[in-house]
Amino acid sequence: MPSVILRDTKLQGNIIEKDSITIDGIIVGDIKAEEVIINENGIITGSLTADNNIEVGGQVTGDLSSDRIHLNNSAKVRGKLSHRNLVVDEGAQLEIASLTRKKITNNNKE
Amino acid sequence: MFFKSDKKSQDQVHGFSHLGENLCFEGEIDCKGEIEIAGKVKGNVRAKKLRILETGSIKGLVQADDVEVLGYMVGNIESVNIHVGNKGVVRGDLRFESNLSILEGADIFGHVQKNKKEKAKRSDTDKVKYLEHNKIAS
Repeated sequence: MPSVILRDTKLQGNIIEKDSITIDGIIVGDIKAEEVIINENGIITGSLTADNNIEVGGQVTGDLSSDRIHLNNSAKVRGKLSHRNLVVDEGAQLEIASLTRKKITNNNKE
Repeated sequence: MFFKSDKKSQDQVHGFSHLGENLCFEGEIDCKGEIEIAGKVKGNVRAKKLRILETGSIKGLVQADDVEVLGYMVGNIESVNIHVGNKGVVRGDLRFESNLSILEGADIFGHVQKNKKEKAKRSDTDKVKYLEHNKIAS
C-alpha cells in the first residue's frame, strides 16, 4: 500500500519508499521513492528522487530528479530539476534550473 | 457561512497518515492526528493516535495519547492508553496513564508502569494551599 502523509504530520529525516508516496504535510529531509506526489498543502525542504514520476502541487525547496516531472498550477518550486519529460502548468511559481537528460543517469539509482 | 465551513474543513483532517510496508524512515515524526505505520521507522514519534501494524517497526521513543502495537517496537512508550495485540512485540518500558490492554500472545520485555500525572499535580496544589493557609493563620 502506498504511503500517505497528511497535513497534520511533520517528518524530519530521510524517507526511502519503494512504492508511491503522497505528501500533504511538512517534510524536512530527502525523499526517494518510485513515485512522489506532493499535494497543495505539502511543504518539502530537501531533494526528491523518484524512479517514475514526481507531481508537485505544493512547495518544494530542493532538487528534483525523475523521469517525468509535473508541476501543477499551485506549485512553488526552487531548485534544480533533472528529468526526461517536464510538464509545467500555468500558474506555477518557479525558481529553477532545468536539465533534460536523454538516458537515465546513475544519479537516479543511487 | 461558506467561509466558516471552509475553515473547518481546512482545520480538520479526515483520515490518517499511513507509512507503507516498503517505507524506511529515519528521523522524527510529529503528528497532530492519527498515524499508521507499516514500514520501518528509526527515531522518536509523537502523535495523538499511533498504530504500529504487523509489518511495522519503530525504534525510538513514542509519546502519544493512544498507542496500538500490533507489530514490533523497540523503545519506551509513554501514552494515556496502550494496547498490545497478540502479535505485538515490545522491547522497552510501557508507561500509561489510564488504560493498558495486552492480548494473549504478546511479547513484552520491559517495565510496565502506571503514571498518575494529574494526582501528583493535585497534591502539589493541596500542599501550596495548606502552606498559604498556615501563613494566613500565623
